[in-house]
Amino acid sequence: MSDHRAAGEEHGHKAPNYMLIWLYLFILTIAEVGIAFLSTFPKWVIVVGLLGMAVWKALLVALYYMHLKFEPRRLRLVALVPLPAAAIMILAIMMEYI
Amino acid sequence: MAHAQAAIMDRPPERGLDVYTQKVGMWVFLCSEVMFFAGLIGSYIVLRFGASDTWAAPGEVLNVPVTAVNTFILICSSVTMVKAFAAAEADDQKGIKRYLLLTTLLGAMFLGVQAFEYTELVLHGEWQGSHGFTPAAGLYGATFFTMTGFHGFHVFLGVVCLAWATIQAYRGRWGKDHHHGIEVLGLYWHFVDLVWIILFTIVYLI
Amino acid sequence: MATIVAEATGQAILHEEHGQSFLRKYIFSTDHKVIAIQFLFTTLFFLMIGGLLAMLMRYQIAWPDRTLPGGGILPETMVSSGYILPEFYNSLVTMHGSIMVFFAIMPMLVGVYANYLIPLQIGARDMAFPRLNMISFWLMVPAGLMTLASFFVIGGAAAAGWTLYAPLSGRPDLSGVHLGQQLWLMSLVVLGLSSILGSVNYITTVINMRAPGMTWFRMPLTVWALFITAILALLAMPVLSAAGIMLLFDQTIGTSFFLPEAGGQPLLWQHLFWFFGHPEVYILILPAMGFTSEIIAAGSRKPIFGYKAMVWAIVAIAFLGFIVWGHHMFQSGMNPTLGLSFTISTLLIAVPSAIKTFNWMGTMWRGNLQLHTPMLFAIGFVAMFAIGGLSGIFMASTPVDIYIHDTYFIVAHIHYVLFGGSLFALFGAIYYWYPKMFGRMMNETLGKVHFWLTLVFFNLVFFPMHGLGMVGMMRRIYDATGYQHLQGIEDTNQLITWAAFGLYASGFLFAFNFFWSLWKGRKAEANPWSATTLEWQTPSPPKHGNWKEIPVVYHGPHEFSHPDVTDKDWLAQNERPDVTSPAHTGPAPQPE
Repeated sequence: MSDHRAAGEEHGHKAPNYMLIWLYLFILTIAEVGIAFLSTFPKWVIVVGLLGMAVWKALLVALYYMHLKFEPRRLRLVALVPLPAAAIMILAIMMEYI
Repeated sequence: MAHAQAAIMDRPPERGLDVYTQKVGMWVFLCSEVMFFAGLIGSYIVLRFGASDTWAAPGEVLNVPVTAVNTFILICSSVTMVKAFAAAEADDQKGIKRYLLLTTLLGAMFLGVQAFEYTELVLHGEWQGSHGFTPAAGLYGATFFTMTGFHGFHVFLGVVCLAWATIQAYRGRWGKDHHHGIEVLGLYWHFVDLVWIILFTIVYLI
Repeated sequence: MATIVAEATGQAILHEEHGQSFLRKYIFSTDHKVIAIQFLFTTLFFLMIGGLLAMLMRYQIAWPDRTLPGGGILPETMVSSGYILPEFYNSLVTMHGSIMVFFAIMPMLVGVYANYLIPLQIGARDMAFPRLNMISFWLMVPAGLMTLASFFVIGGAAAAGWTLYAPLSGRPDLSGVHLGQQLWLMSLVVLGLSSILGSVNYITTVINMRAPGMTWFRMPLTVWALFITAILALLAMPVLSAAGIMLLFDQTIGTSFFLPEAGGQPLLWQHLFWFFGHPEVYILILPAMGFTSEIIAAGSRKPIFGYKAMVWAIVAIAFLGFIVWGHHMFQSGMNPTLGLSFTISTLLIAVPSAIKTFNWMGTMWRGNLQLHTPMLFAIGFVAMFAIGGLSGIFMASTPVDIYIHDTYFIVAHIHYVLFGGSLFALFGAIYYWYPKMFGRMMNETLGKVHFWLTLVFFNLVFFPMHGLGMVGMMRRIYDATGYQHLQGIEDTNQLITWAAFGLYASGFLFAFNFFWSLWKGRKAEANPWSATTLEWQTPSPPKHGNWKEIPVVYHGPHEFSHPDVTDKDWLAQNERPDVTSPAHTGPAPQPE
């Protein structure tokens, strides 16, 4: 079942270089394992660094493999909606333990 | 009346998300999945915060090298998935079959490695001096098995759907005008990969 | 012609049924109208069961020293030597709440009316995903069977309150309940999936399948309410599923998420449950508000007062609903600063609710009131919901709540908003949309009698509970007579119980009317209420596929008594494109 109004969407841009994204993901994974075990930074630096790299990888998958970078802005908005809800929940509960 | 008919034929329905319906549906569904994993992962973060002194150090109990390879396998399956979609857009029947089959196999491989990992942990794992690491092994065990277990369950469902899609590929179902199913399945599969990227970092490395 | 329409609107045309088997047409149907009616019969059944459990509870509260008449037919584990056992009483309390919330009210509001009304009111032929819709209904069946079965397993049904607080819910040795609790949790997970899949359908349908001219601000308030409700369900139910699974694991595979002896955190359960639970209660009220707006506009022959404000109020209630959950936990020992922030957000949420209440009154002001049964229930909703909302303001303030938490004051509040609110609106909706669903009118006299009996008995049952709570009668207790400070409340409790029996009996009058009218009710025309929304512009009941041609929309949803329309006091959304008023509908869309 094809939607005519959506017909133009797939051909409006050049396809990203999927293999390049794969290479970035590969490098980031190696970097993560390396930093977790081989570095001598203080613990909080390691944690922040690892979380940052995880978020970076997640963004690469979301924006390029899941195509969000090239989707209409309204769809990106939909994808963002659960994030504040999840954040509020986790942050509020964490207040019990700080 | 003819005026109204002409109006219907000339005017499209009201503007939605400018995206076809099945894709909207899958993204909406993924929003609920974000909340589900947020519940599990959020609980993990909170419980760990409250019991950080009893938490095992990275690598102490879990096998990081094997899991790192498994992470790599899942990432590769995302690549093959996106290449299957590209093949469908280009009407490359051989490519569709090849990449869907590869994605299914890589997904199954991930599950196999995880099953192996679980068996090793339950039978030979070491936690707080005792033999065998199970869900009853304190909060560490409870959160580990619940989060990775439910992720694994989602991978399993994905592999079943991928197997179906691969069989459909061999029946010639997919092509330039019939690739929405692959794209939508791909969104689910990439999401499962994305969750694993987060889980691997916070469960195994931190 | 049909294919051109299909391509132009991008929707699948459901082919006319040709010799579909009975099984495909009525049991495993993918038609949203059939699925909605399946939900209706199922939820009415569970409403009856939930009410029955309440009657047993009320008997125990009123006459703790008497045996239950006919109690001998129940097993010894429930009723021993004629007396309701305390353990069984705990199960009654728990399952009354759980069944009413999850199997009666929520699926009736959403499973019935989102399914029935969304496609019809936005001008679509069916939901975005009809087969998923069918799966959504059929998931309710195993969930329901597991819940009913839980009464008859060893240890009985779940007994830790509908809120399932840990550690009681996770410790079979403390609660006495083993399999029953697990069955209930599994049932909840299945129901959660049904709800989430339904929400995906409703959200996608409203976003992508509105008829030409049906802009966002021309949608009926019912659709807005159901759409926002679906978003709440989408984001909140998965958290309950996650928490429920963790609790299930605590009971079965030896984890200890919520069990303190092994390092678990009982308070975590409360946070997770109420993070879901508060949006859940807005899921239970928003659709009711939508129905009420619709019925009051049609019953006053006036446009809804402040349509856009009504929309933004729904959005505000939903958004704020995500940041008030801690007001259920003021007594839990949580961080007091967090408590303060929850007090503030809870008091704020009264504002959009009040806006809606004033707007309903503004709609009725100087209207040409048609006091038929749906209108009576809608007006009743406004009054009862206002009372429930006012008691909520007391509870929002932590110092007051410390005094009245877990007393009958809370029970009064809950029931004013859930029964006086949601159920009144549901009764209104059932009477209102019955002609569209079944092609017949319900009996108006019986309907009015049902309304008045319900209103009187309802208030006799629940209003005194405010007083009972303030003198300290606790929730969920088996026998209040043993407490020094509660001497003298027996008469009140007995009055409440007699009124409760009357309330339950009135329900059977409604049931009789409902079933009798299916065969003997006066045949209904397409638009018996002279209403403006799209579902009334097609036959009663609509054919498979809803319309011969998808309607084109030119007006807002509640155009009653339009000054430019002189021959009648209503203007259907899809008629007379030359009559417009920018104040209500925006500029007329120009065909190319």
